[in-house]
Amino acid sequence: MPYLELLLSGILLGGVYALIACGLNLIFGVMRVINFANGDLLALGALLAVTLVLSFDLPYVVALFLVPLIAAAIGLAMHGLVIRKIIEGPMIMSLLATFALSMIVVNVSLLVWGGGFYGLPQVLSGSVSFLGQDVPLARLVSFLLAMFAALTIWWFLQKTRFGKAIRAVSQAPELAVVSGISIERVRYVTFALGTGMAGLAGVLMAPMFAVDAQFGVRVGIKAFAVIIIGGMGSYPGAMVGALLIGVMEVFAGYMFGQVIGAACVFLAMLVVLIFRPSGIFGIGARA
Amino acid sequence: MKGIVALVAAVAAIAVLPGFVESYGLSFLVQTLIFVCLAYSWNLIGGYAGYAHFGQVAFFGLGAYVGALCIQAGVSWLVAPLIAAAFTAFVALVLGMIMLRLSGVFFGIGMFGIARVCESLAMGLDGITAGGTGLYVEVADLHMLYYVVAGLAVLIVALTWRLDSSRLGLQLLTIREDETAAAALGVRSTQLKVGTFVLSALMPGAVGSLYISYLGYIDPFTAFAMMTELTTIAMVLLGGLGTVFGPLVGVVTLSVINELLWARFPEIYLSLVGVIILVTILYMPRGIVAYAQRKNWPLVPVARAHLRHFAQRIQEARK
Repeated sequence: MPYLELLLSGILLGGVYALIACGLNLIFGVMRVINFANGDLLALGALLAVTLVLSFDLPYVVALFLVPLIAAAIGLAMHGLVIRKIIEGPMIMSLLATFALSMIVVNVSLLVWGGGFYGLPQVLSGSVSFLGQDVPLARLVSFLLAMFAALTIWWFLQKTRFGKAIRAVSQAPELAVVSGISIERVRYVTFALGTGMAGLAGVLMAPMFAVDAQFGVRVGIKAFAVIIIGGMGSYPGAMVGALLIGVMEVFAGYMFGQVIGAACVFLAMLVVLIFRPSGIFGIGARA
Repeated sequence: MKGIVALVAAVAAIAVLPGFVESYGLSFLVQTLIFVCLAYSWNLIGGYAGYAHFGQVAFFGLGAYVGALCIQAGVSWLVAPLIAAAFTAFVALVLGMIMLRLSGVFFGIGMFGIARVCESLAMGLDGITAGGTGLYVEVADLHMLYYVVAGLAVLIVALTWRLDSSRLGLQLLTIREDETAAAALGVRSTQLKVGTFVLSALMPGAVGSLYISYLGYIDPFTAFAMMTELTTIAMVLLGGLGTVFGPLVGVVTLSVINELLWARFPEIYLSLVGVIILVTILYMPRGIVAYAQRKNWPLVPVARAHLRHFAQRIQEARK
């Protein structure tokens, strides 16, 4: 078995999962809302990138900046029109609402792009030699950009004043309010950041995979597995979990084929739920 | 007494209905009754216990495949649903013991993932399921099928009715409102939730098996369709979560709207169901039934009549 090659390709895949999982966890940490639509915004981002590059003849770099902004704008709209109004209610309502939002995003994408598969194999084609392995350039660049974005936001959360406000709301909302933090603004920014990260992950995936409107569901459940294994609401947990899942998926896929490989990831998630429900770095999952 | 009269009237109406419709109408009725079974099952776990369940279609699909394999092995289509239901109940027992110890978010995303994994397994394990080609079985007699599905629908509505005014139903509601407080009051929350979950998986399994006797064919995308899941949830939510008659009102409303309007726009159907869910959550979170009760609409079946009765007595006592 080509261990090194599989390990490398698993880590590269995990880097992009990290971006979407961090977005999910950021939103969950601050708002206690699981955004089912994040995966679908990723698919939408990938499809938008393909359209921008192929139909509008824009360079890939423009898509790289534009698409996350569009995704963040959609996220702001979602929060303003729906989530904001039900966030204080029972959790089942916010779950049902983001599930409905996810269905709307998927089906609108289906309406616009149809059921076909799109990709940007011509962008960043070719490969580079790394540790004696031939690594596709697209995967390496995507990994580096994803890691850069995730770490930048990590830095933003740790070091800036507003980042600290976000963490304060996530840890103790009542104390954050009495300290003069505007919860409403923090929630808007968090939701925009989380959905923007999903959009960026989408752009980064466009050169690597053939993407269709329902791609988000398949990536989405892996992102859920990542945050459960890494720990709900934990930013470093999401990054570590994503790399683990990426490696696991590639190895299981090599050994048992694609279908069983994907199921293995889920099996690992169930095992974590049984033995360590709070995940690696989690804030507690028990009822 | 009123309840028994209503039940007898409903059964009589269901029994004579096929005499008045043609085969297209009968087909519509069978589909509607299948959704009655699914919606009431979802209501048990989603409405009463308050757990957002996005994987009911997994049990429906598993039931369909188990049923198809049984029928292909020579089992009668009337017996296959029993085997399918037993199988899905067992799966629910194992899954429930894992997932229901955790908070609602984990349950929601976990079950959602399990439904998708089941779909890809049905696609991948083509030695058993024939993959995307699908399994074919003999189509059952539509009249017979109608009576079987109607029987199941009446059964689960009656069961919900009993549950609603029972101690058990109230215990489930306390779990929904505050699980810690429920546990402190001595409600065995985990056992109760797992029991409800198993109960809510029985019917989708049986109905899934009947569904292939209706269609004569099953493939992974039909068995585990997102559309089934979303439509069921929308129906329960629209009618009223955790009420006796809410799901019925929701099923009838959405089925009729669907039949009249959206059959012509299949491509936007799911988006519209999504919009209905959002609008219901935002403006009518307790559904049509609760809304109608508050506005005192006449002719709306009032669930939990005994609670209203208590309320009236308290008011009278205050005077």
